[in-house]
Amino acid sequence: METEDSSSENGLLHRKQALYSSLDSCFVIQKEMYRGQQYSQIYFARLHLMRTLLYSLLPNWKPHIQVCTVIGLEEGKECIIVGTLYKHMKLKPSILEEYSKERSATPLVRPHNFMHPDDHLILEDESGRIKVCGDVLLPSVYVTGVVVALHGKETGTGDFWVEDVMEGGLPHQIERPIKSGEDKYVIFVSGLDIGSSTSNPLKFQLLVDHITGHLGDKKEQSIAAKIVRVIIAGNSVEIPRGLLNGQNLGSKDQFTLFEPIKELDIQLTQIAAGIPVDIMPGPNDPANFSLPQQPLHRCLFPSSSAYNTFRSCPNPHLFQLDDVSLLGTSGQNIDDLEKYSDANDKLEFLERTLRWRHVAPTAPNTLGCYPFTDRDPFFVETCPHVYFVGNQEKYETRLIKGAEGQIVRLICIPRFSETGVAVVLNLRNLDCHALSFGTEFS
Amino acid sequence: MATSKSDMKGFFKQKKKSGGITKAKAKSSSTKKSLSPKRSATYGSDITQPAALISHGSPDIEDDYDEKEEVLRQFDMNMAYGPCLGMSRLARWERAKSLGMNPPEDIGHLLKAGKVGAECLWEGRV
Repeated sequence: METEDSSSENGLLHRKQALYSSLDSCFVIQKEMYRGQQYSQIYFARLHLMRTLLYSLLPNWKPHIQVCTVIGLEEGKECIIVGTLYKHMKLKPSILEEYSKERSATPLVRPHNFMHPDDHLILEDESGRIKVCGDVLLPSVYVTGVVVALHGKETGTGDFWVEDVMEGGLPHQIERPIKSGEDKYVIFVSGLDIGSSTSNPLKFQLLVDHITGHLGDKKEQSIAAKIVRVIIAGNSVEIPRGLLNGQNLGSKDQFTLFEPIKELDIQLTQIAAGIPVDIMPGPNDPANFSLPQQPLHRCLFPSSSAYNTFRSCPNPHLFQLDDVSLLGTSGQNIDDLEKYSDANDKLEFLERTLRWRHVAPTAPNTLGCYPFTDRDPFFVETCPHVYFVGNQEKYETRLIKGAEGQIVRLICIPRFSETGVAVVLNLRNLDCHALSFGTEFS
Repeated sequence: MATSKSDMKGFFKQKKKSGGITKAKAKSSSTKKSLSPKRSATYGSDITQPAALISHGSPDIEDDYDEKEEVLRQFDMNMAYGPCLGMSRLARWERAKSLGMNPPEDIGHLLKAGKVGAECLWEGRV
């Protein structure tokens, strides 16, 4: 049913709009000052937050089993313990290997996935740690940094035999009012890699032209008019790092270094002129290394930042469009999970992080992270309606349902420079489809 | 800087009458077999002490810290509020409050009044 917004009495199509609110205040570093603290503080904050949550869920799970701390365990007595998991991995690269005497034993080629059949899990809280055994808690599924509740008993050998495990589960979701409103689309794209040898500028130009309505006939343009926002999820540029060899750069080299960002700025200006755009930093972008990555500085985008539709966002990014809440990252958290655990597909990693209620459980163990003292910003408070991750190999999507009726659309956004695929999400019914651009005649 | 003897007297803290230093040495050697007084090892001989234990020119083995410091040290050691290193005591108290752990209010007042040590005992040393 056409509303007056997209009617074309005088031939003009109006773009739809959606109410946007950014909820990124927990990810942006504001008053934090680094005073030489270590990561014990963030682990404590995480354990406390999750433990309070798990204690509140215990009466619904196993109300008659006693809860105790690791140091209060008695042999043979059934109880529940809550703590942070640590996965001891034989193949995990350690800085100490550089100092080991048997240097010849270390392999020269590093495997991409560091799992080994001998990996085992250890549960730790403030009072102590205990090795976890049994078939219920699979070391291939869990990673260091996940907080769980375990039901079991201590064995004669001093290990904890697990009978059952409880994770945080999907958080409470704010229900969306069921209304048959109009279709509004959000475009997700990531891995533009402008400046790299694999990126084709024509493909990105085609995407920009489609979004801004310069492509196609009236019907095509009316579909493009329903796009309300563009989210660029990381790795927008590839800076020629070969030039950075420690010496001062000549002016010609400085120019070459900055070329990709200038080109990105030009393209972003074209998009920002017509539609709100959010850009997130990724692993290869000129932003800080440790999570949460801070928004890309506006001086990198002199012409596009002049528009108020241009918005530089942190990674991870949490925001709300109309009444849909969206949460996503540029891929570092899922890529790290892939190195240290196993799953059938990337969407399963995504679902696990949501069920563990933590966006990046391996931070700060194997993923760079700022040493927060008073909070853990990656803890998921409310369940998003859309959960996305950028810079993946292929486009995948799934709708998952929670125990309380939560519905989450999981999206893996593929790298645009390799696949030419962007993802389109319909805010009305959370349907998702791919938009692919090609420049070869097949 | 040559100083006359009368100046030296005023320079050092005198517990006994003049010649206090030599007398103290004799005292410590004679009481070596029995329990040496707490300060004899460090009194006036900071050459033998490693620099880290001397803070602000006074011996570090403070046995005269008051009960306020004692209360704060117990707060530092309480595992429920998390590790004490890496945060100022007030920041740790504020965190405990915001996480809902209900830390004792009087510790909060003590820390905000500001006349007590802001950091835990090991800050800067570990």
